[in-house]
Amino acid sequence: MKCEISFEKLKQAVSLAERTAGRRTTLPVLSCILIDIRKNTAVFKATNLDVGVEIEVPVKTDGEGIFAVPAHVISSFLSQIDNKEQIVRLEPVSGNLNITLSKSKGVLKTVPSEDFPAIPTVSDAKTVPFPTEVLIKGFKSVWYSASVSNVKPELSSVYVYKDSDSIVFAATDSFRLAEKRIPLPKGAEIEEMLIPFKNSVEITRMLEALGPTVSMSSNKNLVSFEANGIRVTSRIINGVFPDYKQIIPKGFATEAVVLKQDLINTLKVSSVFSDTFNQVHFALDPKKKEFNVETKNSDVGENKSDIDAAMNGEAIDINFNCKYISDSFQSIDADSVSLQFNGKNKPLVIRPVSGDQSFLYLVMPMNR
Amino acid sequence: MNDFSKMWQTALIEIETAVSQANFSTWFKETAILRSEDGTVYLGVPNSFTQEWLQKKFHNAILRILRQMDEKVRSLEYVIVKEGSKAPNPKKQAAPAPTMSMPLQDFYISKDDNLNPRYTFETFIVGPFNELAHAAAQTITKTPGQVYNPLLLYGETGRGKTHLIQAMGNRIKALFPNKKVFYLTSERFGNELLTALQEGKARQFKEKYREYDVLILDDVQFFSGKEKFQEEFFHLFNLFKESGRQLIFSSDKHPNVIPGLEDRLRGRFNAGMVLDIPEPDQESRAYIVRAKCATYNVTLSGEAVEHIASTIKDNIREIEGVVNIIACQSQFKNRELSLNEIRNILKNNTKPKKLLSVKDVVKTVCEFYNLSEETIYNKTRRKEVVRPRQVVMYILREDFNVSFPSIGEKLGGRDHTTVIHSYNKMKEEIKTDALLSQEITQLRSML
Repeated sequence: MKCEISFEKLKQAVSLAERTAGRRTTLPVLSCILIDIRKNTAVFKATNLDVGVEIEVPVKTDGEGIFAVPAHVISSFLSQIDNKEQIVRLEPVSGNLNITLSKSKGVLKTVPSEDFPAIPTVSDAKTVPFPTEVLIKGFKSVWYSASVSNVKPELSSVYVYKDSDSIVFAATDSFRLAEKRIPLPKGAEIEEMLIPFKNSVEITRMLEALGPTVSMSSNKNLVSFEANGIRVTSRIINGVFPDYKQIIPKGFATEAVVLKQDLINTLKVSSVFSDTFNQVHFALDPKKKEFNVETKNSDVGENKSDIDAAMNGEAIDINFNCKYISDSFQSIDADSVSLQFNGKNKPLVIRPVSGDQSFLYLVMPMNR
Repeated sequence: MNDFSKMWQTALIEIETAVSQANFSTWFKETAILRSEDGTVYLGVPNSFTQEWLQKKFHNAILRILRQMDEKVRSLEYVIVKEGSKAPNPKKQAAPAPTMSMPLQDFYISKDDNLNPRYTFETFIVGPFNELAHAAAQTITKTPGQVYNPLLLYGETGRGKTHLIQAMGNRIKALFPNKKVFYLTSERFGNELLTALQEGKARQFKEKYREYDVLILDDVQFFSGKEKFQEEFFHLFNLFKESGRQLIFSSDKHPNVIPGLEDRLRGRFNAGMVLDIPEPDQESRAYIVRAKCATYNVTLSGEAVEHIASTIKDNIREIEGVVNIIACQSQFKNRELSLNEIRNILKNNTKPKKLLSVKDVVKTVCEFYNLSEETIYNKTRRKEVVRPRQVVMYILREDFNVSFPSIGEKLGGRDHTTVIHSYNKMKEEIKTDALLSQEITQLRSML
């Protein structure tokens, strides 16, 4: 059997599939890309048993065949090849896959493909079109707040739900919380779901390759997104996300509005001297118009900086993990941000001040 | 070890020899037999990937092995097991994070029962005013469905109705893990019904509620004047009652005085236990203030506690709000607040007396007597209109001190003597007519 495929398409399919393929799995075939050549199309599949991807590429072939090749081998090989290549020939020869290019030829060892699992499909569910951009923006705005530990599956997930006319993305590791609201495009519908945040990273990467609109379908256990012959399927968590809205303070005792870039720079300077817990000390005094940021590390030294801020409310002294605060700026497009404090043991609320205000971030203080 | 896990252990030993080690540890690691019914074995699997693959690749092999052990096994079904919270790995746990964590554990409202875990009997403050309701609630949780079915608690907002009925749900859930408890507000019940009717899924809606052993419905006064909801609810009510399943309700007034409630429904509420949660007495209020202070970790002088308890009379939620503000302020100032400061907080944070227009009074009275508002302003002398009109005049004069001529003018240009006559007539009748006096008390609370 011989099969001819566009080099560009092959490279794209392999690079998309390679990152999803399992690493350090007990089953060797899971770290492979399965190439399933049928009449006129080749399907590239990879899965880590959490997320599965399937990529369809048109080919010219004189037969059919299935083979599994280690993902990192084929990917490293192709990524080094000059992009001027046009057409590539794939040919399975006695346990190997021969990849013939104009100036180079690779003979890749294959792995028996029988053990490669079927990627489940979302059955009994409606397929709805959904703008890709909304999903990408939503996931990227919050995923870094999810918990990296797997003790509580719902906290290491991105919670997606519909609230009146918006689609809401939320994630929290219980120390900070990020929420992003995006107006739900006309006609789009979404079921509430908990997507493991690691999977949301995979999904986002795939969505970026999928074009402006995806077909989304979900049931109790799975969600899948599909467009242009690419489909990504992820497990979803069957659990309950805490009703976090009750934690969001309704008012504030102290408010400071600062230029985002000012705060970013100050925190960068401060973090040089922060301790192992990234502790940074904020001292705000609206009456004296002072906003001081202090860090101290007995092994390194200390730093004290002032930030220009418009403030009102009561004076406050409070400590935070510097990293938790700076994390939020990646989701804020506005030039200035508002910091709202509610006393010593209450979360700090960070919001963009102008422009797109659909983002909300909460950080808990440190207790010493 | 139960029979299922023993059976599965034995089966796994056989499976292990039949498949490769890699396959075995990938696909069978987190599996278990959940239950077996009528020859069908339900196998718990961690995710759809495993389900799909076991079904496709190993289904027959597993079934054959199970059948060798137990001839009755006919088929095999897969169930995706909900991933529970894992116990943290003690070795990997780093030094305790110095950042405080959000009290998220308080905010898990399970979709299966809608109950808020924060509402428990332990946090419910019992005083002379609510001890009867509390006792009845306690009794019911011991044998749900057997005594006091249905239970209806009524009382004004902020008296702890929701707390008590949710605490019952939480307690029943703890005592009887097999009983399915469900809490929702009447408004949500109505909305769900509406959606179900629009989508032609009325049957699924009914089926859903039939599953529950204990149904807790908050704020049933919402059904007032909504016939379709009452109809649907009536059937559900009968079903629960007949099958001895517990119903628990709350309302802001006695079912007899909820306007626009069908008589048959009213009768059914009354057939169970209807209990009032009245205004808390001074002593209980003081106790509540102290208890709330303790949870917020603030100390208040006896004088301050008494002052708060005597200023806020009828609403526990308001007490909670004020204590919250005091806690917040004293934390900032880092000292105990003076009585004067507390007086100021109270002044700024208690509900001001409501300002009402004549129109509002007419509207409320008309709703109560089920009349259209115009009739009050019209010149009709029909008996069913005259009486409510007189009630309006009486309330405006007695409670709001409006002058007789302006009452007359605002109610469709009547002479002030007509108003004086009506006022005096009502005043006299109230003394003898118990029903009328009850109606007026009720109306006052609605304004």
